[in-house]
Amino acid sequence: MAEEQKQTQAPGGGGPPRREGGSGGPRREGGGPGGPGGGPGGPGGRPRGKRQYFRKKKVCKFCVEKMDFIDYKRPDILSQFVQERGKILPRRMTGVCSRHQRWLGVAIKRARNIALMPFAGSAAGTQTPRVVVPAAAHAAPAVAHPAPPAATEAPKV
Amino acid sequence: MEERLYDLIFITRPATPEEEIKKVISGIEHTCAEKGGKVEKTENWGTRKLAYRVKKHREGIYVHQEIRTTHGELIAELERRLRVQDVIIKYQTVRLDEDLKRQKKLGDKRALRVARRPRRAPAAAPAPAPAGPEQTAAAS
Repeated sequence: MAEEQKQTQAPGGGGPPRREGGSGGPRREGGGPGGPGGGPGGPGGRPRGKRQYFRKKKVCKFCVEKMDFIDYKRPDILSQFVQERGKILPRRMTGVCSRHQRWLGVAIKRARNIALMPFAGSAAGTQTPRVVVPAAAHAAPAVAHPAPPAATEAPKV
Repeated sequence: MEERLYDLIFITRPATPEEEIKKVISGIEHTCAEKGGKVEKTENWGTRKLAYRVKKHREGIYVHQEIRTTHGELIAELERRLRVQDVIIKYQTVRLDEDLKRQKKLGDKRALRVARRPRRAPAAAPAPAPAGPEQTAAAS
């Protein structure tokens, strides 16, 4: 609000949105209440929310399934909680409770260490572990391309 | 000393012949027998696509073992041996017994809580009310 006095002297010196010199003032107050009234009331209080926060339903998948041990050897479960680029999703996106989010982070990092999940890049190439009976008639490892089709090549390197 | 449970996963180069892998596995078992440990389970997951390039390979043969021991130094010895062999491109050991203990404890608590709270017909309106404070007391 103190900028208004400066703006009459140097129009356009302030921020870009206040293009009109004199009428820029009342315009701003008018724009204020329009923001949270239009939005879903996410952040509450800020005049212009940058993006609309909608809360995912507060249901933690692991609590519902009563899963107390998040296995790092199951990338199919873990990749639900990971972005396309491989980054771990925050709790507010997935609705996981704090305890399970901690364990999930540990499991994802372990899986990344052992190349079951990527550090960066698409997780679409991960497979579920196939439990092969040892010493069974397993196809000779000399075969270059195994039976499961290599779905998507990692775009990097 | 209480018994510990470890998970060991190692990855070998994709074109490794079967007998090489068997040699590695028997080497691990031998070391465990020497130092007082026991290999509980061995799984060969076969060739899998790696999530990123490891030593210029895009695929590898995964082997997963569970080892039970009371001596923690066994794991350091195993890792040392795995490190020198160049068929093995990656390995990881994870200690599991604390996690499993905690899982069991939570499972038991949950079973206890479920057994303590008598299952009432959902039609009765006062059913949630007495269950409410009991739930918060048990959840703490």
